Amino acid sequence: MSDLFRQSVNTPQPQNQNLRPKPTPIPTQGRSSSEYDDYSSSSDSSASSAASVATVRPSSREHEAPPTHWTNYFEQELFLERTEGEQVGRYHVYLTPPTDLKKGPLFICHHGAGASGMSFAMFAQEIRKKLPEAGILSLEARAHGSTIANATSGESIIDFSLEALVSDAVSMIQLTASNQSWSTIPPTVLIGHSLGGAIMTTLATTHFRIFGPSLIGYCVIDVVEGSALEALSHMKTYLSSRPSIFSSVEDAVTWHVRSRTIRDQRSAEASVPSLLISSPTGNGKLIWKTDLMSTSPWWDQWFQGMSQKFLTGRGAKLLILAGTDRLDKELMIGQMQGKFQLTVIPEAGHFVQEDVPEKTAGLLSEFFRRNDRSQMVLPPKVGDLIKQGKKV
Amino acid sequence: MSDLDKAIAQLRACRPIPEIQVRELCYKARELLIEEGNVVSVDAPVTICGDIHGQFHDLMELFRVGGDVPDTNYLFMGDFVDRGFYSLESFLLLLCLKVRYPDRITLIRGNHESRQITTVYGFYDECLRKYGSANVWRYCCDVFDYLALGALVMGAGHDLAPIDAPFADPSQSNTDADDVEIELLNSQGQILSRFPRNRGGTQDTSQLSNTPSSPSQTKEQTPSRNGAPGTGATSTSGGSANNSGGAVLCVHGGLSPLIDSIDKIRLLDRKQEVPHEGAMCDLLWSDPDEIDGWGLSPRGAGFLFGADIVDCFNRKNDLSLICRAHQLVMEGFKEMFSSTIVTVWSAPNYCYRCGNVAAILELSEDGANAGYAPRSNGDMNRSNGVQSEKEDKRPGPGRRYRVFDAAPQDSRGMPAKKPVADYFL
Repeated sequence: MSDLFRQSVNTPQPQNQNLRPKPTPIPTQGRSSSEYDDYSSSSDSSASSAASVATVRPSSREHEAPPTHWTNYFEQELFLERTEGEQVGRYHVYLTPPTDLKKGPLFICHHGAGASGMSFAMFAQEIRKKLPEAGILSLEARAHGSTIANATSGESIIDFSLEALVSDAVSMIQLTASNQSWSTIPPTVLIGHSLGGAIMTTLATTHFRIFGPSLIGYCVIDVVEGSALEALSHMKTYLSSRPSIFSSVEDAVTWHVRSRTIRDQRSAEASVPSLLISSPTGNGKLIWKTDLMSTSPWWDQWFQGMSQKFLTGRGAKLLILAGTDRLDKELMIGQMQGKFQLTVIPEAGHFVQEDVPEKTAGLLSEFFRRNDRSQMVLPPKVGDLIKQGKKV
Repeated sequence: MSDLDKAIAQLRACRPIPEIQVRELCYKARELLIEEGNVVSVDAPVTICGDIHGQFHDLMELFRVGGDVPDTNYLFMGDFVDRGFYSLESFLLLLCLKVRYPDRITLIRGNHESRQITTVYGFYDECLRKYGSANVWRYCCDVFDYLALGALVMGAGHDLAPIDAPFADPSQSNTDADDVEIELLNSQGQILSRFPRNRGGTQDTSQLSNTPSSPSQTKEQTPSRNGAPGTGATSTSGGSANNSGGAVLCVHGGLSPLIDSIDKIRLLDRKQEVPHEGAMCDLLWSDPDEIDGWGLSPRGAGFLFGADIVDCFNRKNDLSLICRAHQLVMEGFKEMFSSTIVTVWSAPNYCYRCGNVAAILELSEDGANAGYAPRSNGDMNRSNGVQSEKEDKRPGPGRRYRVFDAAPQDSRGMPAKKPVADYFL
């Protein structure tokens, strides 16, 4: 468990405002490894009896956080806990609530494998420029910021099946709603990048009831079942070819930008720190927070059947692809039958929302406006015109 | 052999023509297209084709099945480019044919005939690959802006012109050839099936809606308008009983809530990039759907429209049928809403992977009065008495669908398989 988490859950809420942890400064130059402890995902079961929910708000009395700190993109950071049988889920999400719960929209975002909730940091900033009333809830999957552990042994549970990840997402959404005392979930657009796309698509297909009537639609960013399954065989090679250790955050940011993994400096500065933890060898180096190789047994399962689910889920559908259109047969037929909206962004790489945050935000705000049922005015039906005595 | 004929021969062999010739061709095509109205009038007989999407070899198969230009009069409903590997050759060939035989081929605009769409879906990249510069793409896009938005087919016959064709299944050969409304042929020209008019085209591929026709509102009134179908002066062109199939509107996508008469299409300023919204956008983007009234299109542009909208529009404009493309149909064509609208799709095995067949639709000329498109002459609603009492809906023209499969592909010109994405988890 992270220090930040332990500290916050052990702190009785909400009396001790001034004991809240400081915004964690993002180290910018040659910091020592101890400052990265916040990113540690080691578990500590002793905290399980503490308040299940804790909110961290930045305090103005603290020293100013660096420009890439989460407080610059989101209003709140929530630590949420749910115990189910032998399993304790400690969830971490970022939230900016919508200004009007009835109108929304709330964009619920899920990152891809190996990324984090900060993958939507720049997007969150940009969407608020276009839709100042919008809310953003950015979820973090297990081993990506949230932890799922055995209640007695405290050991992390290794289960990256799609069902488990979907049930985590449901828990995070429900816990956030109760934390915020929302009676109903505000009008919602789901956004999933990559693996997150598979999770959000499943939510919209089989778990849409948790949203009541609030689910407006969903957007999948740069993942298509056919091409994803095809590329799986290359993934292990890819993973083994990327650096496994960085000497500093700057180093890691530079690698992400130079390798064009993330094609926007500001986005990389915002998201890359959250991908790293200090190396357990204590040599001051940084390693990846998420061990992607350990998730490989589930890769196929994540994407299988995704196209079918995408086409049949509840609500409006938007698919954003990077580079070229790589639709599989099922989506190609669906697209040419007009079943969903497809937008291809040639200049973007896989991390579309980080590469072109402004454009992504523009697309999503348009998508919401178009499908916002409270604002929708369709031309009258012929039958209604006749009833009104109008000549048609 | 003129330069144009040489260019046609070269393009038929699927070889691009030099950039300078493309420039000249596009210039000539624009001069020709600028003279066309937003809604082109086309006289039957005509063969109507849907999306092509750069599938050059399948376009050749289409010409083999449907007959060559200028022997057959063609109407292509847009989406010539993108997705397939030979958008350039396909579009330039069609354009050459248009310039060479302007009265025998009509091209209208699809949503892919746009700068924005072609930059993303392949045509731009193809031009760049084949010419090393974007000039040819630019010339073509300038032509796109001049393509008509729709076509009105006049003088289509109620009865199909008889053809001398064998049945694919000889046991059916005693099927009555009289009063056939729909005839289905395979790519060998064999008849697959016939549907007589009294059965109203209740075939498998037709999706007939049960929507009752909306209450007739003009039957007893004196018609206030009086002219050719599809004009503001329209009342009915049913003139001579039992002859006309009525006028057929062809458009790439469908209807628009901003367009209640064909004259309103004529008033649009079409010489521009396809806008993101508005009437012109809707005509190229909308889809019919099993809904009541109008709906939001899942495509993010245009609308969905129901049977009531089609019925109302067809009555008001004196149309017997709307013919459109834009949506992939696995069977090549699909009639909807009691055969008041049909989707025709002409790209077999779309994008080399969808496994669908393609179709073209032939409308015969009206044999009863030598192809003369009947105009009302004050003798209103005469046909109404002849046809069914309960429906004052115009009977559709006889429709002959030729269904065909993808041509064998050669792999020349196919771009190397795209490298798979580095990272996608």
